[in-house]
Parts: sequence; structure tokens; C-alpha cells
Amino acid sequence: MLKSGMTRFGFVLLMGVLLTLAAVYVSLTNGAFDMTLAEVGKTLLRINPDPSHDLVIFEFRLPRIVIAMLVGFGLGVVGAVVQGLMRNGLADPGILGINAGAGAAIVVFMFFIQGSIQGTGWFAIMAKPLFGLAGGLGAAVLIYLFAWNRGKLDPQRLILVGIAIGSGFGAVSLYLSLKMKPNDFEMATVWLTGSIWDANWTYIAAMLPWLIILLPIMMWKAHLLDLFQLEENSVKSLGVATEKEKSILLLCCIGVVSACVSVSGNISFVGLIAPHITRRLVGIRHRYVLPISGVMGMLLVVASDFISKTVFQPVELPVGIVISIVGVPYFIYLLRRGRK
Amino acid sequence: MRRVKGIGSLLLWGSPLIMVGIVIASILFGAKNLPMSTVWDALFHFDPENVDHQIVIHSRLPRAIGALLIGAFLAVSGALMQGMTRNYLASPSIMGVSDGSAFAITICMVFMPGSSSALEMVFFSLIGSVIGVVAVFSLATLVPGGMSPVNMAVIGLITGTFLSGVSAGLASYFQISQDVSFWYNARMHLMTPELVKVAIPFGIVGLVLALAISKSVTVLSLGEDISKGLGQRTVLVKVIATLAVVILTGISVALAGKIAFVGLIVPHITRFLVGIDYRRIVPAAGVLGAMFLGLSDVLSRFLNYPFETPIGVVTSLIGVPFFLYLIRKRGGGTHA
Repeated sequence: MLKSGMTRFGFVLLMGVLLTLAAVYVSLTNGAFDMTLAEVGKTLLRINPDPSHDLVIFEFRLPRIVIAMLVGFGLGVVGAVVQGLMRNGLADPGILGINAGAGAAIVVFMFFIQGSIQGTGWFAIMAKPLFGLAGGLGAAVLIYLFAWNRGKLDPQRLILVGIAIGSGFGAVSLYLSLKMKPNDFEMATVWLTGSIWDANWTYIAAMLPWLIILLPIMMWKAHLLDLFQLEENSVKSLGVATEKEKSILLLCCIGVVSACVSVSGNISFVGLIAPHITRRLVGIRHRYVLPISGVMGMLLVVASDFISKTVFQPVELPVGIVISIVGVPYFIYLLRRGRK
Repeated sequence: MRRVKGIGSLLLWGSPLIMVGIVIASILFGAKNLPMSTVWDALFHFDPENVDHQIVIHSRLPRAIGALLIGAFLAVSGALMQGMTRNYLASPSIMGVSDGSAFAITICMVFMPGSSSALEMVFFSLIGSVIGVVAVFSLATLVPGGMSPVNMAVIGLITGTFLSGVSAGLASYFQISQDVSFWYNARMHLMTPELVKVAIPFGIVGLVLALAISKSVTVLSLGEDISKGLGQRTVLVKVIATLAVVILTGISVALAGKIAFVGLIVPHITRFLVGIDYRRIVPAAGVLGAMFLGLSDVLSRFLNYPFETPIGVVTSLIGVPFFLYLIRKRGGGTHA
């Protein structure tokens, strides 16, 4: 049983990675400026570098693809963890209201501060994601305070509080964005619905530490999520410090989501859909679900980002919208299949 | 407890007076404060040449009445939804009605610019509400346990995100995002006598349906099995109640855009005051909702004077803390 599970896991992992690489290749070579595989390969391996190819690949396409991959992976894993924690297959990291908190902070930043920052130094680039991170963490603290009840973290209550806090922060964003100049408003909306259009290497450097530290912790604790599917009391009788473990996992989720949201805005549905696809492929054991869910998220975001920048030329749709347009019908289909 | 009931009946019996007070306040205060005598003259000796009179008749008065009507509509639909689904979180903004309506209006603004007479917009908004409700309910029946309060809220949220995602995509593709956002977030100041006139017949139909069905909703709120055991045709009741909800919410969104939390919190306050009989809840929710939104509308002009705050922001400001209180008190319990 275990062995066949392992083989299946390995096979799905391999296929997922290969498909993602294919998507990366297509995304890297196609666009307003088409390139051949040889050209891309030469540029990446530094054989006879051509400055114009360097510019397109290293400044425009590659950072964007890398961010799409990181964000997709992070959101996919977090989605699986959140659904496991809440014992609810409909939970999504966005429901926790963290996105909305980060979004409100970024809108505050765009409205009050962005104009007054001069230059293109490290600080100027980092200011926006830092604001997003602060907003996400702020929202998380609020949600935590309200959902904490007599020393226990009630999953039902967590969802409801998340929805409430989310709509509160949504109101703040709305209030400010309606006061913006049309141009800024357009930018704020694009950002709020999720977009990777202003990707650069500094953002990647900013989000990488969070993922490197927090994702392994989640993977390491994955087996606990299997236990959490049992009745609360039986888990306790196994000697698991449930509340402590739940809090650790939840804090990891919050960190990863804040890091992702602060660079790419509010990309919804990845965390909802990726775990569903994954469970159909490799079953319900979280040790397998978590990594595969990350790979599925990666594939989803890279592919959707490619669609968002090419299909609707010359306008670029926010990737979050592409994902929700493609993802929701597929999600409904999955739910139907799951029911039979 | 008795004191609370006392305040409640005072509120309900005093409501005509309170509403008149709200209407007067709403007419007097704004970007330009008008003296009482001008308002009096405008109402009883209307002079078409006088700009102040024009403001009173064509802007302030319809706005005040519009706010009362919309408040009543939203609160009644919220009450019906909560009773019907036995779900204390059910409300127009959560169940996808508003998002559906906003979706239809975005499509209308994108593909038929110019053809935006009030009546047409109302019509599209109604179609949109139907789409939203049908989507949420059919999804909820597809998912195991989808009708439970939390799952319903989540499904409503997913559907809402999807519909507003598509709207946002269309709007940003055609570069009219802020127009659309203004249209459904900050419309109270655009209320005209014509819009109010359009709203009234829809409102009457919706409210009559709501009142007619209210007794059956009380039975339904006891549970599906009891209701069937008592020989009630539950499907018929649900269809009529949903129809009332769609009409009332659709017309509200068409008039004023997305206004969150009225339909969610007013029914709770109402049940707290008048008990669990929907024959009393429906009219009382209407009255309280009207007062709540009328007051929010007046407040919306003072939060950031002389600029107006979108009314949805005002209701969220009051609604979010109340919602959190509700969750703390009920702790994710099963139904209202």
C-alpha cells in the first residue's frame, strides 16, 4: 500500500514538474519578442550573450516566471494546509482575510506614500512589499485575537472571523481607491486582483527567506494534518498538543501568504483548487498532498500568467482574474465528480 | 431584557417620527447646508427658478426616501434568507445576489454604453441577481453539506469572487474600472425622483410577497422536517421567498449599488426585539432597516466632510464589529 502510494506520488511529482517546465519554456520563449530554444539556452548558459536577449530574459521574463512559480508553490501548499486545518475542503487562504489586510496596506501605501519616495534604490523597491507584509500580519493578529476562544482555536470561527475582517479591510481599500486618480486606481485594482507585472529580482529576494524557512516546517508537520482529520479528542489522546501544533501551522501559513501577497497581490483560488486536483491524483495523505499541491499551484500560476500576458493583447489582465475565470468552472466540475 | 424590549417597541412605534426626522436631517445637511425655511418653501411653494428648491426636490428628497426604501428592502430580504435557510449568516451580500447584479451591470456598461436609462439598468440588475442566487444555491446543493452556515458563506464568497473577478476583468480590459466601481459603490448622491418611482412598484411586489410568505417562513425556520410534517409545501415557499429576495435585492443594487451588512445585521437586531415570528420580523426588519440605512446615509456625509463616503463603507464600519460580536456570541452555531 505504502509502496504503491510512493510510486504514484513519484510519478505525479515528475509529471507535474515536467509540465511546469514546459509551461516555463513556452512562457520564456513566447511574447511580444519571440525567441528560439537555442537563443534562450545560449543566454542562460552565457554563450555569446546578446544584450537584447539578456534584457528580455533577465529583466522581464525570468523574474516574472520565478515569482509566478514561487507564489504558486507557496499558495498551493498553504491551501492544502488550511483545508486540512479547518477540515473544510472549501477553505482557501484568501478566506482568512490576510490577503485583504495586505491589500488594504498596499492601497494605503499607494495612496499616501508612493509619490513621496524618490529614487530606485533598494528601499524604494522594497517599501511596497514590506507594507503588504505588515498589513497581512496585522490582519492575522486581529483574526487570531477574535478566533481564539477559551484557549482554543475554533476552525469554524476562524473562517467567519476571516470573512468579517476581510470585508472590513475591503471597505478600507474601496474607500481609498475611490479617492485615487484614475491612473492610480487602475494600478490599485490590477494589484488587488492579483498581478505579477512589476516583477523584479529584489522582490524574489524579499520573499524567498519566508518560503525557505516556513515551507519545510509545514512539510515536516504534514503527518499531523492527517491526525487532525480525526475527532478532536482522539487526537488529544494520542498525545498531540493540538492547539500548539495548529497555531504553528497557522502562523506558517500566515507568513507564506503575506510574503506571496506582498509581491503578487491577491491571487485567489490557487489555494482552493490546487489541493483538490492533488487529492484526486495522490489521495489524502498530507505527506504527499503538500508537495504535489505546491507543484500544481506552480503549474497553475505559471500557465495563467502566460495566458494573462498574451491572450488579451495589448491589454494585460491581472493573473488573479485569469485564474478565477479558468479555475472556478473547473472547481465546480471537480466538486461534481467528487460527489458521485 | 425587558428594558431592551421596551426600547424596541419604542423604536418601532416611534418609527414614523424617527423616519421623518431622518428625512429632514437628510434634506438639511450636505455639501451645502440648507435652512429649514428654504426646505419648507421648496416642499410647499416650489419655485423652479430657485436652485435651492431644485436641490431639495430633485436631489435631497429622493435621496432620503431612496435610502429608507433600500434599507427596508435589504433588511427584509436578509430576514427572509435567514429564516428560509436557517442560516444566521445568510444575507444578500454574502449569497452572491449583489455580485451577480454588479456583474450584469458591468456587462451592460461595457457592451451597451449609452443605453443606460434607469429602467434598463434595473432590469439588468434583476437578471444579474437571479444569476447570482441560482449560482450560489446550485453550487450549495452540489457540495455535500453545502447548506450549512459556514459552507454557504464560503460558497457565496467563492461565487462572489468569481463574478466580481469577471466583472473586474471586463472593466479593466475596457478601461472603465473606476466608472464601474463608482456605479456600484457610491451611488446614493445620484438618486433621482425617477429612480425612486421605478423602485416603488418593484418594492411593493417584493414586500407583498414577503409578507404573504412570512407565516410559512416561520414554520420553515423551525426546520425542514417539521415544516413538511405540518403539511407545508416547502419548495413552493422557498421559491416564493427567493423570488421576493431577488426582486428586493436586485432593485436595491440597481438603485444604490453594493451595500454590505444591512441585510445581515438588521434581521438579528429585529429577532432580538420582536421574537421569532416572521409575521412580525418581516415588517419590523423593514422599519429598522429603513432607519439604519437612512441614518448611515446622513452619516456618510459627515465622516469626511465635505466629501462623501461611499455608504457601503459606512455600513461596513458599523457592520464588521457587529458581525464579530455575532460570531463571538454564537460561536459558529447552527442557525439563528
